[in-house]
Amino acid sequence: MSFINLCAQIDRCAYTNALAKSSPTTKVFFALSALILSVSLPSPLVPIIVFLTTTVLLLHFAKIPAHFYSSLLVYPTIIVALSCLIIALFFGYGEPLTAIVLPWFGWTVFKSGVMMGVTTFFRVEGALSCLYFLVLTTPMTDIFITLRRAHMPKILIEMSLLIYRYMFVFMEVAAQMYTAQKLRLGHSSWQKRIRSTALIAGNLFIRTLEQGERTFTAMNSRGYDGNIRTLDDLPQPRRVSFIGIIFFDVILVFVTLLMINLQ
Amino acid sequence: MLFRLENVSYRYPDGTLALDGVSLSFEKGERIALLGPNGCGKTTLLLHLNGILKPTSGKVYFEDKPLEYASKSLLNLRRRVGFIFQDPNDQLFAPTVKQDVAFGPLNLGQPIDKVKKSVDEALKTVGMSEYADKPPHFLSLGQKKRVALAGVLAMQPEVLVMDEPTSNLDPRASIEILRLLLRLNQEFGFTLILATHDVDTVPLFANKLYIMSKGKIVLEGSPEEIFSNTELIRSVNLRSPRITHLFEILRRKNHLPVNKKLPLTIGEARKEILWLLNVKMDKKEKVNSA
Repeated sequence: MSFINLCAQIDRCAYTNALAKSSPTTKVFFALSALILSVSLPSPLVPIIVFLTTTVLLLHFAKIPAHFYSSLLVYPTIIVALSCLIIALFFGYGEPLTAIVLPWFGWTVFKSGVMMGVTTFFRVEGALSCLYFLVLTTPMTDIFITLRRAHMPKILIEMSLLIYRYMFVFMEVAAQMYTAQKLRLGHSSWQKRIRSTALIAGNLFIRTLEQGERTFTAMNSRGYDGNIRTLDDLPQPRRVSFIGIIFFDVILVFVTLLMINLQ
Repeated sequence: MLFRLENVSYRYPDGTLALDGVSLSFEKGERIALLGPNGCGKTTLLLHLNGILKPTSGKVYFEDKPLEYASKSLLNLRRRVGFIFQDPNDQLFAPTVKQDVAFGPLNLGQPIDKVKKSVDEALKTVGMSEYADKPPHFLSLGQKKRVALAGVLAMQPEVLVMDEPTSNLDPRASIEILRLLLRLNQEFGFTLILATHDVDTVPLFANKLYIMSKGKIVLEGSPEEIFSNTELIRSVNLRSPRITHLFEILRRKNHLPVNKKLPLTIGEARKEILWLLNVKMDKKEKVNSA
């Protein structure tokens, strides 16, 4: 159930960090533009700059506890490092870096393969830090409102709104069921664990249907007519910060061009 | 007459007869408690008051006019009759407190400035202003109940219908909710209709009581009248308030000369005891202040 704790912790962070009250449009714009640039520009230096910038923003400006941020980074980094190691050792073409030649076995490591592994690793880390920036500094509600401002389809926003709210209700229910099962030894062996988890899933499904009905009644009592209207009273984005972000993005492109020219 | 139910019966689609010929009436400004064991039809009855359920037979009158079930007249009715559900998780669906409270006023098509004002006022009334931007899953149950109440108050209703307002709350949270409701009744003239099985708080709160059992109203009257009928109260799986029970036992088993009208609240019991001890109230007061 540690997954549930992690979700709740991230959510709490989003509402309580020092940047929570600033304009969500700006934050979404920053995170998305930095993400797109760090995965699409060829130079590995760009994602490194993006990673360092978001990390500074998160730790220094949003005041996210460093140990929490690093604990979020550890697992994805390990997985990405392993995959990139494989890319580095087995992919590539052209100029070989080193080769092992045995009578029954030949294996060449290419320079371009290593380059690709390293670039991929930094790109994933850069993208990851952008997503963490968005998730850790922007409350979910603000993201919904930003999506509404961007004229996303209503049905998607309303569904995500309800899913987000009731996810926490059902996570609590699931955690209670899990504890209740554990107390009666429902998770004491591999088979029992599978059976008990299936029971939770089935039970939760029925509960969601019931909850849907009750929530619908409650919404009807407050004049629901098929549209969920929300109050948009968030700060409008400041032009200065937009220009700042565009400036940052231009620097990233500039760095790439410089790197290409140097080569 | 604000509400009048005439011989209302309701049968759920699965065949259960939840209401069986219920007739009752509420005046404006009253504090009414529907008291009954679990599954007696309290919630079903309440859901008739804002037109969520339509009686299978019988009629519901609001201000002497029969309820219309067209969506436009229902919207008007639902604005005036606010409904607070037992489980606040059913009601709070929006990602933040403020968004949830704004839901009703926005549905009424009010301009944004007015919506914001109603939201602020409603949150202030229930004492939850500082939680406006928090998501509901950060709140305790008592806080969620108050937010649910604010969500209804923001629509500026005249009648508050509450299903089990104090269920699952700790003593302090439940007394806070009751105080708030009493204040709404006394200061702003809200009509309050409550379903509950918390017999100890009913005398503190209600001026009129309906006892329900198996889909029927079996007894109606003031709390004093009803709780003096101990036999009937027990026959419908309820009990008298603890303090009333104590005095009843003192009278029956110890033959204490207790007043025929048994005390229902701590305050009344205190007077009764002092009277029994033959100590005059004002004398006691002097001793206390000395």
